[in-house]
Parts: sequence; structure tokens; C-alpha cells
Amino acid sequence: MDDPQTMLVVLRHAPHDSSWLREGLDVALVAAALGQDVTLLFLGDGVEALRSGQQAGPLGQKGSHTTLDMLAMYDIEDIRVDAASLAARGLTVAELDWPVTPVTSDVLPGLFATSASVFNF
Amino acid sequence: MILHLLNRSPASSGVAHEMLRTMGADDRLLLIEAGVYGAVEPQAALFSALEGRCFALLEDLASRGLTGCCASWVTPLDMQGFVTLTEETQRTVSWF
Amino acid sequence: MATTTAARHLDVGPRRVALDPEGYLVDLDDWSPGVAEALAAEEGRALSDEHWEVIEVLRDFYRRYQMAPAMRPLVKAVGQRLGPDKGRSIHLMRLFPDSPAKVAARLAGLPKPTNCL
Repeated sequence: MDDPQTMLVVLRHAPHDSSWLREGLDVALVAAALGQDVTLLFLGDGVEALRSGQQAGPLGQKGSHTTLDMLAMYDIEDIRVDAASLAARGLTVAELDWPVTPVTSDVLPGLFATSASVFNF
Repeated sequence: MILHLLNRSPASSGVAHEMLRTMGADDRLLLIEAGVYGAVEPQAALFSALEGRCFALLEDLASRGLTGCCASWVTPLDMQGFVTLTEETQRTVSWF
Repeated sequence: MATTTAARHLDVGPRRVALDPEGYLVDLDDWSPGVAEALAAEEGRALSDEHWEVIEVLRDFYRRYQMAPAMRPLVKAVGQRLGPDKGRSIHLMRLFPDSPAKVAARLAGLPKPTNCL
């Protein structure tokens, strides 16, 4: 959890419209493959990545949902989502496809402050 | 303590609001590139609670015709000041 | 997905299979057990049952996640499917020496693992 050795990867971009989400997930996977403890935080439009029912893009571009399915295989299990960002988009934790921990605004500064490194995507 | 770098105008992007919610009580903010539009009122009102720890990069202000337009709680900073600020903080987080 | 072009070809019975510069299949649909055997023969390996069960784990991993695993998740996937005795890097190192994630992905007809340094 708020382990000082943990790397925080913040995902702020929705799938399909840019490569930021994919790049952030790639950084998380590489770090985890090397044994680094990784915490993911979905913030802002990034929470759209957790919406259920996603598919590949119109030209066959891979979505991010299969990568999210794979996180557990990389032992990335600390997945947090900003509750306010969810609420602003009409989403609730219960309807998301992945096991995520909602966090409230008051814990965000501490999450940033206590992580060994922060990668913002 | 974290130095947050913001390069988007608050009026065009929600990222400034996300950033503010992650900022700790001692964290500092440096506005760069299009982020410096947020140094000028009324947009600067968003950062009024950050008096003393809100900065805007002078060269980006100058190139946009904003020199001398900063709100009172935003401190213009030259490149040397930027370097000093970076040295004083443990790490930097970029918002874009 | 594969944007690579053929660097060379491998003859597998009557078929010619295109390989990229690192020896991975250009078209993943070209894979068959015969292709795996031909790829292994190139490296001077014969595939045992223990190789095949790992290859099947890898192909299943790719079907689910559309990505070839790095070493750690490969070890985990093998452990989940084949039991803890086999879900150990030493077992995979013995079967696929040097770099099991890369070697086994090639034989299984997967792309090269991207998040594997």
C-alpha cells in the first residue's frame, strides 16, 4: 500500500484517443516485470479505461481492456480509482470490470507524497 | 515536497483541477508553456490558495505577452529560479 | 498488429513460413505444431511433452491478453496451469535456456515479448 518503495503510475487518459494510457500501462508492466511494486491510479478521463463492455477500435486497434485483465499476472494488484472522477462520469465502482479501490480526494496528496516515484500519463 | 509542472491552460483542460486535488500542503506549482495563461486573472483565481508556492516561467510569460500581467499570488520565475526550485524539491510531476 | 517484414523463410513441409529479423513469425496465423518443431529444430532442440505444455500455456496467455508475457508472468501462468513445481524459473530455464520468455514465445508463435528487457 503506501510503501515508500512503491512506484505510482497515474493514468489520466481515456483509451482509444491517444497512446497515453497504453504507454502508462507499458511502463507499469515493465516495472512490475522487474519486480518493482506498482500502484496504479486512474484519475480524470483515465477512469474511462475501467468501463465495462470495451472492444478493439474500428480499425482493429487493440483496446486496453485485455491489458487490464493481464495486470494480475504481473502482480499489479493495487489499483486505485479516483472516486470523484468516477462520479463525474456517472460511473460507480460496482459496475467496473476490474477489482479497484476507490480513493477520495483527501488521500490523493498522501498517495503522491509517499510513493518512491510518480509517473504521470 | 513535490514540484508540479502544468503546461495546459486551465480554461482548455480539466487537468489543472485534477492536479490541484493531488497537491500536498507544501507542494509547489510551476506554470509553463500554455500553463502560464493560468497566471493571469480571472483564470489565476484557481490557484489563489497557493500564494507563495505558485510560480510561472518568465520566458513563457514573455513570449505570450503576459509579462507584468500575473496575479499577485503568482511569482514569475526565470530559468535560474526554475533550476533552484527543482533542486529544492524531491521530485517533479508533470501535468499535460 | 505485426508490422514486421519477412527477413527470411522457413520451410515446413510444403509451406514457406515468413520470419522477422529476430526469427519470430511475421503472420501469427502461420503457427502450427509443425512450425514449432521446425523452429525448435533450427535451434537444435527437440520438443518434449514438457515443452509442449508450456507452449500451450503461452498460446492461452496470448489468446486471453493479446500480449506475450515477460518472465515473471510466464512463471506465474505456468504455475497456475501446471502446478507449483513447474511454475519456477529454473524449470523454464532448463526447458528454454538463455531467455525462456523470448525463446518459448518464438516457438509458440507469439510476438516477441515487448515488456521483457
